[in-house]
Amino acid sequence: MSAQAGTAPRPRISLDSRLRATALSEWIKFRSIRSGPLNLLLTAAIVLLGAWLLDAQTRSGWATMPPGARASFDPIGTTFNGIQLAQLFVGALGVMTVTGEYTSGLIRGTFLATPQRAQVLAMKALVFTVVVWAWCTALSFPAFFLGQSILSSPAKHVGIGAPGALTAVFGAGLYLTCVGLLGVFIGVVVRRTPAALSALFGLVAVLPFAVNLLPSTLGSQVGEYLPSNAGEQAWHLLPGGAYMLGPWSGLSVLIAYVAVAALAAFALIRRRDA
Amino acid sequence: MDERAGATIEAQSLKKVYGNTTAVDGIDFQIKPGRVTGFLGPNGAGKSTTMRMILGLDLPTSGTVTVNGRGYQGQVWPLHEVGALLDARAVHPGRSAYNHLLSLAAANGIARKRVDEVLEQVGLTSVAHKRAGGFSLGMSQRLGIAGALLGDPGALLFDEPVNGLDPEGILWIRTLMRTLATEGRTVLVSSHLMSEMALTADHLLVIGRGRMLADMPLSELIARNSGERVEVRSADPQRMAADLRAAGAQVTLEPDGTLGVLGLGSKQIGELSYERGHVLHQLRDVTASLEEAYFRLTGESVEYRAPIPVAA
Amino acid sequence: MSHTMAALSTGSAGHAPPTAYRRARAALAAEWIKLRSLRSMLVTPLLAVIVSIGLANLVCFNWVKKWPHLDAAHKAGFVPLDTNLNFVIIGAIFLGVLGALVVTNEYGHGLIRTTLAATPQRGLVLAAKAVVLGLVAFMVSAVICFTAFFTGQAQLSGGHLPHVSLGDPGVLGHVLGAVCYMTAVGLIGLFGAVLVRSAAAAISVVFALLFVLPALVSGLPDDIAKRDIVPYLPTNLGGSLYLSHPHHAVGVASTPIAVLATAAWVVVLGVAAAFTLRGHDA
Repeated sequence: MSAQAGTAPRPRISLDSRLRATALSEWIKFRSIRSGPLNLLLTAAIVLLGAWLLDAQTRSGWATMPPGARASFDPIGTTFNGIQLAQLFVGALGVMTVTGEYTSGLIRGTFLATPQRAQVLAMKALVFTVVVWAWCTALSFPAFFLGQSILSSPAKHVGIGAPGALTAVFGAGLYLTCVGLLGVFIGVVVRRTPAALSALFGLVAVLPFAVNLLPSTLGSQVGEYLPSNAGEQAWHLLPGGAYMLGPWSGLSVLIAYVAVAALAAFALIRRRDA
Repeated sequence: MDERAGATIEAQSLKKVYGNTTAVDGIDFQIKPGRVTGFLGPNGAGKSTTMRMILGLDLPTSGTVTVNGRGYQGQVWPLHEVGALLDARAVHPGRSAYNHLLSLAAANGIARKRVDEVLEQVGLTSVAHKRAGGFSLGMSQRLGIAGALLGDPGALLFDEPVNGLDPEGILWIRTLMRTLATEGRTVLVSSHLMSEMALTADHLLVIGRGRMLADMPLSELIARNSGERVEVRSADPQRMAADLRAAGAQVTLEPDGTLGVLGLGSKQIGELSYERGHVLHQLRDVTASLEEAYFRLTGESVEYRAPIPVAA
Repeated sequence: MSHTMAALSTGSAGHAPPTAYRRARAALAAEWIKLRSLRSMLVTPLLAVIVSIGLANLVCFNWVKKWPHLDAAHKAGFVPLDTNLNFVIIGAIFLGVLGALVVTNEYGHGLIRTTLAATPQRGLVLAAKAVVLGLVAFMVSAVICFTAFFTGQAQLSGGHLPHVSLGDPGVLGHVLGAVCYMTAVGLIGLFGAVLVRSAAAAISVVFALLFVLPALVSGLPDDIAKRDIVPYLPTNLGGSLYLSHPHHAVGVASTPIAVLATAAWVVVLGVAAAFTLRGHDA
């Protein structure tokens, strides 16, 4: 080939092709490291095991429970309580999807292939959302049925058709997905794994505890609007303690936090790479 | 449209300031296709910064840099036009070489079989499905080169490509770069290895403290910046030196009796010795080297200098 | 330059191999320099101090503000020491993360190879890290706990709420218990990180162990597992140490048992870490 100047205009590549190319690249990256599938497996294991253990414990201790506790017992909330632990793993997965690239320096290669950084972040988040939501919703159903079958009479239990039950099962999947996404965006803002993990876990696990230390009414007023406390209502059948938010309003609060984190992430993604 | 036809990389008044430091101070250059352009300069001179700006990883403080008349930032699927090896270790250690390249290829709509092709071209087919974290430095370099070649681009940028390669690998990369240039592509290589640069590059850009010190063909750089001299050893160095000085040459006398002569060719020195009755032991033209030319040119601009150790 | 070369050539070749004491001192010095020269290692204790003391004061402040509006039952149930020291669970997290960072910072960039090249005895390296971190954690915890105590109680007494002073029976013991607990958590973080090796896993484990696990099991009805296992989780042991009225719902170990059990956590993890370090390639 003669070395004629290559200044002829390049053929236009449709937006659809470009987005699909980026999404495909992100999917390949997600599925090709061990930590991705491993984290998802652990999440499933924790939720299922949690359902089994917690409900079995409740079932065996049902007779000795005080009547007040029995009345306020939430069969779905208890079944899904393993989510409190599982959210750490989904959150870590979200964080590492981003910080793994910054730590290894791979992010430079990613931006060389796709200089449009907002597009990269959007597709990364999209692939993550689709995969995690599908997985977590899929595992919520077996967890629900497993738990309710263990909570056999006289323990309080519900069927899938009961009012609020289906909402709660979908709510579990949505909650985990949101926590994971929070991890993704915090990862973009912080860029270092230990700091991002600490920030996410601090927000999701520690802050509720800290707020609880405040005198009663103030504690619950603030605590109600913390991301995890609010979002958790999504997979509870009965409102938790003093919290008044219902499942959908609670989830909306969590989604608002995710949106704020997303805004920060998109604003900051153009910074010089670490 | 054949995008392998070379691309011109052009910078105009390119400037980059970080806080108080001016990393790149208003440089201009045009890197043309069909030849290997070497990028030389001391550590901290601004080579990496310039390369990053060409690739859109950093934004210039002022001035422009374009590939084929377009800035990198807005490019769609740029790997088809520009391939780069910046940092061989910039891979996720848990990912296989194959999947690493596959994710890059997918991002720019490059066919899957191209991944197999480049893996074969760099000789990594046998370890394609092994974790990149377990690769030696040489293997990582080759993986990085494979990534640069994926899109069959018209312009290629290499930052220290021979780092970690064994002699066979060094010969291979040198041949590869020359072949790419012969095919009409634009090749920019940044390296410290003088001997390699002298064998590979056709044209040189020398940068020091953010400023362009030289932008010319290799041969011209050497000719302009190194001293051609003749080394003479004779039976009576003192008398020889006096005679040569009388003939108008500059003579330096080394402790071991060797004379370094500037200004007279070996033919003239030989004839003069015969006329004056000197016994010659050695008459040698010292060929100019790139290393010498480089040190002369950049002597003032070295940022980080360690004292050269002297044997006790 | 020539004199430096001369010094090198005759240098230490004539000395006897270093004694165990000198080796230990060298290892300790190396670990201390590594710790104080990384920004993340300085930021973490700083955050611990700010967050812990801030939280303790915030809580006390709010109690003072709300006091007039509280009913008699709440006022009767108010425990000044416990309210003041409740922050310890959160403060301990920072120290756990610090402990994990001491280890994972080395694995990240292959620094572990340099460290082991300088000190091939891996047990010594681990011990040196543990000693340096332990001392730092102890001092930081002491600063945090005593400052939080004094400032918190000052607020309570200023607001005419029930309050205690260091001289009251048992109070000093509880504050010291808080310091020891936080130090122990720092060491648990360090040894845990050696066991799991990755930074992400180490930090997840620290948070899971200290936060999520207690929250999960606290809602369970009373039974064997709850009586025999739950009280010995680190956070509950801590509670037994520094709270004068720990929650009976999660089980309470007596003070001597709590001290022993906490020490056991640290020692068992430490031994496991030592064995792991020997077995692994760097």
